[in-house]
Amino acid sequence: MPSTIEILQSLVNGVGVGLIYGLVGIGFCVIYNASGIVNFAQGVFVMLGGMFCQVLMSQLGLPIILAIAITVPLVALAGMAMELAIVRPMLHRGATLFAIILATLAAQIMIERITLLGFGDRPRTFPDFTPGGPLRVGEVAVGYQLFWILGCGALLVVALWLFFNRTRTGRALRACSQNREAAQLLGIPVARMMLVAFALSAGLGAIAGVLVTPTQYTAYNVGTPFGVSGFIAAIIGGFGRAGGALAGGLLLGVLQALAIVALGAGFKNVAALSVLLVVLMLFPNGLFAGFSLGARVHSK
Amino acid sequence: MTSRVTTFTEPAALRWQSVSPAAGAAMLAVLGLLSSDYVTTVLGFAFIYAIFCTGLNFFMGYTGQASFGQSAFAAIGGYGSAILCTDLGWDPVLALFATMALSGVAAVIVGYPTLRLRGHYLAMATFALGLIVYEITIEWTSLTQGYMGYAGIPPLGIVGFELPTVKHQLVALVVLALFGVAVANRLRRSRFGRALAAIAGSEPAALALGIDVARYKLIAFVIAAIYASAAGSLFAHFVGFISPEVFGVTMVVQSFTMLYLGGIGTVWGPMIGAVIVSVLPEALRGLKEMQDIAYSAILILVLIFVPRGLAGLSSLFARFRRNTEPL
Repeated sequence: MPSTIEILQSLVNGVGVGLIYGLVGIGFCVIYNASGIVNFAQGVFVMLGGMFCQVLMSQLGLPIILAIAITVPLVALAGMAMELAIVRPMLHRGATLFAIILATLAAQIMIERITLLGFGDRPRTFPDFTPGGPLRVGEVAVGYQLFWILGCGALLVVALWLFFNRTRTGRALRACSQNREAAQLLGIPVARMMLVAFALSAGLGAIAGVLVTPTQYTAYNVGTPFGVSGFIAAIIGGFGRAGGALAGGLLLGVLQALAIVALGAGFKNVAALSVLLVVLMLFPNGLFAGFSLGARVHSK
Repeated sequence: MTSRVTTFTEPAALRWQSVSPAAGAAMLAVLGLLSSDYVTTVLGFAFIYAIFCTGLNFFMGYTGQASFGQSAFAAIGGYGSAILCTDLGWDPVLALFATMALSGVAAVIVGYPTLRLRGHYLAMATFALGLIVYEITIEWTSLTQGYMGYAGIPPLGIVGFELPTVKHQLVALVVLALFGVAVANRLRRSRFGRALAAIAGSEPAALALGIDVARYKLIAFVIAAIYASAAGSLFAHFVGFISPEVFGVTMVVQSFTMLYLGGIGTVWGPMIGAVIVSVLPEALRGLKEMQDIAYSAILILVLIFVPRGLAGLSSLFARFRRNTEPL
C-alpha cells in the first residue's frame, strides 16, 4: 500500500503534467474551432518545442530566454506550414474528414522521422528554469519548475482570454468557429484565420514542450503520448472550451499520477487511454459540458 | 458521413477486368518463385499486408467508417499464434483460426460501444485502442516478452506438415490473399454488402430503408478485425519473430498508404497498393532509413491529389476513353 506522502507527491507531479496536457488540449480546441478538424499531429509541436529549445541551448550555447524566444515562433511557423501544405489543399478539394485526419497523422510520423534523422534518438533534457529546489513542504518535494508551469499556465489562460475577447483577430476567430460562412460574409478572411489558428496552436504546444522538458525529457517519439493526452483533456472539457480543456488536463494528470502509484509507471498511458474511452462512451459531450469554465471559445 | 468513393459499381460486362488482377498476382507469385529468397520475402510481406488492407477496406471503403487501430487485432493474431504455437505446441492452422475467433470476439466487445461514435471521436477512440494494445504488448512482459520480442515461431503448416521454405510459404500466402479478396468481393456484392454501401452513402437514409445500421457496422468491424488477425498470425509464422514495433503506429500509416494508393473502396485496390508500397522501397534501396518518411510523404500526396488512388486513375482513363469514342 503506497504511503500518504507517496500519494501526495504524485498528486503534485500530476498537477504539473496535467497543466501541460491542458495547454495541448487548448491547442486542439483552437484549431478545431477555426477549421472543424482535429489535428492529430498536435503532440508533435510539444516535441519540437522541447527539441529545438534543447538544441539551441546545448549546441549554440544560447541562454534559455533567448532559446525560448526563437523556439516558439519557429514551431508556430511549422504549424503554419502544415496548414498551408496539407490541410488547406485538402479542404479545397473537399477531402473527407477521415482523409484529413489521416494526413495529419502522416505528417506527425514524417516530422518525427525527420527529427530522428536530424537529432538522433537520444533522449534530451535541460535544467529547470531557475536552479535550486526542490521546495520541501513537509515530506513532499515540489520542484521549482512546477511553479513555472503553474505561473505560465495561468498567464497563458489570461492572455488567451484577452485575445479571444478583446482583440479583433481573436473575435474573428470566434466568429469563424460559430459559423464560417456567416463570418466570410461579414468580410472575415476565414482562410487567414485558419493560418492564425494553426500558428497559435503550434505556439501553445511549443510553450508546453519547453515548460515540461526540464521535469522529464524529450525525444523524437514523445509527441504521440502528449497529443493523445491533450486530446483526452480537450474531450473531458467538452471539446472546444479552453477552460474546460485546462480542467480536463488537470483531472487527467492527477488520474495518471494515481495510476502510476497504483499500477507502476509502465501502464500510465494505458490508464490515460482507458479514461479516454470511458469518457467518450459515457459523456460524449465532455464532463464539463454542462457549465462554462473560463474562456468559452466555442458554442455549439 | 458521406463518402463518394464507395458508391461505385462496376457493370457485370467488365468481369475480365476483375480477373486480370488475380492473374497479375499469380504472375507475381511465379516471379517470386523464380527469384532469390529475398524477393520472395518482400512479396510475402506484400501479400500479408494485402490481407490486412482487404479487411480494413471492408470497414473503411465499403462501410465508410474509420478505424485507426486495426493494428490491435493484428497484434492479437500475431501474439496469439506465437504463444499458442511456441509455448503450447498448437498446430499453426488451428492457432490461426483460434486467434481469428478471439479477435472477432474482441472486436464485438470493443466495437459495440465504440462504433456508436462518429467522426473525430471514432477516429480517436480506435486510435486509442491500437495504442492500448501496443502499450500492453510492451509492458506485459510475462506474456509478450516486451521489447525483446517473441522468437522461434514455427513456419506455417497444417497437421504436422510444415512449409519449409519461403517459396512454399509465398504460394500459400498468395492463395490465402486471393481467397481473402474473393470472399470480400462476394460479400460486397451480396445483400449485406449493398447494405454497407447504403450506410456509407448516408446513415439516416440507410436507417430509413430499414437497415440495422449499428449491427451492420459492427459486423463489418468484426470482419475487418478477423482479416487483420489473420494477417498478424501469418506475419508471425512467415518471419518467425514478432516484437511490439511490428504492430505500432507505423503499421497503421503503412496500411493506410497502401489502401489509399491502391484505391479505397475497390476490390483489388488494397492488394495492388500493398504490392506497390512493399516493393517500392526495395527498388529505392538507398532510401532505407528514409522509408517511413517516404511512406508518409506518399500518403499525404495521394490523399491530397488522388484521394481515390490508382483505381481512381483507371476510371478516369475509362471516362476519358468513353468521352473520346464517339468522335
